[in-house]
Amino acid sequence: MSVMGANFRRDLEIRRYPLLVYVLVPLVALVLQAWLPRVVGPYEWCDLPLVVTVYFALGRRSPIQGTIMGATMGLFEDALTHHAIGINGIAKTVVGFLAASVGVRIDVENNAIRLILNFLLSLLSSAIFVFIYRVLLGLELEWRWFTELFRAIGNSLIAVVLFPLLDRLQIRD
Amino acid sequence: MDSFFIRYRNLIVLLAILLAQIVGLAVQVRRTGEGRSTIDPRDAPGVRLIRLWAETLVAPPERGIHGSKAAAVRLWQNYLDLRHVREQNQDLQKTVDRLRLEEASLLDDARQGERLQALLDFQHRYIYTTLPAQAIGSSGSDQSRVFYLDKGSSGGLKPDMAVITADGIVGKVRDVFPGTAQVLMINDQTSGAGVILETTRIRGILTGNAAGQLEIVGILADERIKPGEKILTAGGDLVFPRGLPVGEVEKVVRDPDRDSFIDVIVKPAAHLDRLDEVLVITSTEPRFSPEEQQDLATSEAVKGAEAAAIKEQEKASQIMAERLPGLIDPNLPPEQQPLMDNSNPIPVAHPPQALHPDRFTPNANQAPASDANGSSKPDTTAKPETGTPQPATPRNGKPERNP
Repeated sequence: MSVMGANFRRDLEIRRYPLLVYVLVPLVALVLQAWLPRVVGPYEWCDLPLVVTVYFALGRRSPIQGTIMGATMGLFEDALTHHAIGINGIAKTVVGFLAASVGVRIDVENNAIRLILNFLLSLLSSAIFVFIYRVLLGLELEWRWFTELFRAIGNSLIAVVLFPLLDRLQIRD
Repeated sequence: MDSFFIRYRNLIVLLAILLAQIVGLAVQVRRTGEGRSTIDPRDAPGVRLIRLWAETLVAPPERGIHGSKAAAVRLWQNYLDLRHVREQNQDLQKTVDRLRLEEASLLDDARQGERLQALLDFQHRYIYTTLPAQAIGSSGSDQSRVFYLDKGSSGGLKPDMAVITADGIVGKVRDVFPGTAQVLMINDQTSGAGVILETTRIRGILTGNAAGQLEIVGILADERIKPGEKILTAGGDLVFPRGLPVGEVEKVVRDPDRDSFIDVIVKPAAHLDRLDEVLVITSTEPRFSPEEQQDLATSEAVKGAEAAAIKEQEKASQIMAERLPGLIDPNLPPEQQPLMDNSNPIPVAHPPQALHPDRFTPNANQAPASDANGSSKPDTTAKPETGTPQPATPRNGKPERNP
């Protein structure tokens, strides 16, 4: 793992994508997340909007953009549920910010790092969700820790497959 | 000052966005009278606007995908895979005929029930109209078990309408948009429905747990509750009409929080994981719908024809019974019925009575006394050994005469 200076890496490896990719990829992630359960039944082992948030945050290496991307994805996820809007929004805002902050400092091309990052950030997102729901809002919510664990593993595996595919969409000089 | 904002701009943006969302959350959550927190079931205009945006963004692609899938399935089912359709059609026709006859037999009971309810001033809510709809999407979260229909307020849907399938209840309409509607499933943790156990008549509240299972909570331990017992809607929640199938008892577990209470885990009647087509109950009225009335009229006609046929059969049976010898004589007491006669059913053939009995005549124990002119008088007091005193009748029906 090579750790490089922040400015150096930012100047070198800020990824750029066509505008259509910024619009379509998150939209497809949201649509698939909402549509797949109708096809494959119970579908709780994956959080595609989270994976996409992490990808763009790592690629853009801008905490502000990561924050906005995470907030947008989280709010739209919340809007599709019957929960209060903002729970996923806060969780993914934090995840986007952290992913972008980490992406500035470490090499995110490595598959092992992508896998570990997605795993940890997924667990963090679940923890923030449960914290907001039960502690901050005082709402009753049953949750199962192994579901969150499996979801983190699922997100990591999907990220390992999806990130190289999305890498092909970036604009190369 | 500028350098402060530039230096910490990332953190400032993060905190600003987080703060905005926290304030937004605080607006949506309210306290109940019991001191509990709950999410306001009716969204504020701003929240509803965000939901509308999300739905407007996500619903068209979902509808497109669902439409493509449905078109492909339709193409396959309607044009390519038509094996055994004729046989299935015949079987279904038989089933329809049988159900019509069954319905005819239930018609009188239903009408009588209606009359009694009217007498008791009790408005039982029958399902009046339903609207078929397709499930096109979901929330995508296992913490929020909702799904979306392809029909909304423009199709006549309203919040709190019950959603069912032919197998059982599914949920209720929670929110309605112009072209879509959000349905809260019965296995969500925030849902609730009044149910009753079919046999034991125990009432309870059905809700969902974290695993997405259905459970009836807050009922006292009762040994009569056994796995397999059917569960129906109780009709008291003003959402689901009474008597709809919910599922059956899968197992009974102790309530972890309260002693002497149990939770009944329910196996749902509807396939909640694979919902495709559902029915939304758009109206419940205390009367039959035109279609049902038409079916009932058909059933009555069928019933009338069937009753006439049965009457004809009974009449024919009576005629046959009159013509044939019976084993039961209505004019005799039970102990003297021919059915109770243990005697030999084969008649014993007796020789005809002799015109001029002599000593060779059967049953003549002593020589006949001769009268003065030499004629002998038959012993009329002599009785045959067995059987009736009737002379045996030959097959041609005429009594035989001795030569």
